[in-house]
Amino acid sequence: MSLEEVAFLLLALVAVVTAVAALLVRELVHTIMWIAVFFVDLALIYFLLEAPFLGVLQLGVYAGAVTVLLLFGIMVTRKRIFSREAATGLGPVPVALAVLTFVFVVAAVGELPMAEASPRSYAPSTLSTALFSADGPWVLLLGIIMLTSVSGAIYLVREGRE
Amino acid sequence: MSGISEVGFLGLSGALLAVGLLGVLTRRNFVLILVAIEIAMNAAILNFVYFAAYAPTAAGLSGQAIAVVLVGFAATEVAVGLAIVLALNRARGSINVAEATELRL
Repeated sequence: MSLEEVAFLLLALVAVVTAVAALLVRELVHTIMWIAVFFVDLALIYFLLEAPFLGVLQLGVYAGAVTVLLLFGIMVTRKRIFSREAATGLGPVPVALAVLTFVFVVAAVGELPMAEASPRSYAPSTLSTALFSADGPWVLLLGIIMLTSVSGAIYLVREGRE
Repeated sequence: MSGISEVGFLGLSGALLAVGLLGVLTRRNFVLILVAIEIAMNAAILNFVYFAAYAPTAAGLSGQAIAVVLVGFAATEVAVGLAIVLALNRARGSINVAEATELRL
């Protein structure tokens, strides 16, 4: 077993455990702490996949911005931020659906042609050049969607709407 | 560097999708539902990054470009979700989705 495989197995284990922990703990602030670890863990997986640009983006956008936004959401909607959530059970139907999804995805993976190769790495400069040339339309689309949704968000929270 | 098995990455992606789905279906707090959606979204982005790295040609670069765009989408979605959280909290004094029944017939 190579060093990369060991590293990946550890990171994958941490990812699943932190994702489950984030959704099951009853203190919402602990949820945010777990999800921050989850985001950093995924960034490490991206570095393992030789995608350094995405790893840094994941650290900046997810571990940085999204975590703080979610924390802000909890902060402004509760009187005491460390108060506990009421316990909600999982229920058999959602668990069955989730297990079914997992089994379906893993079964679909078996159908893929397996190529034994080493990951291809792209320099951040190559990726950024592509983002401004061949893949430019995606970035433009992202800009338009961001602008529209920010307008929508401002409309939702503006004063005196009721 | 030797390749890590496909089953590992796609299995991790599938597991994260399942966890996210479970969270969306069972949690009642809007912020927790947002967290669950983010977990499922990260599963999708992981797929794009994985297939970009192991694509047979340099076309995999587009996979990374789409992953960059998806990270932006996810951040936008959290911003809109948070606006809904604030509006819901102002209107009902609670962000429990079981209590938001205005649109019910």
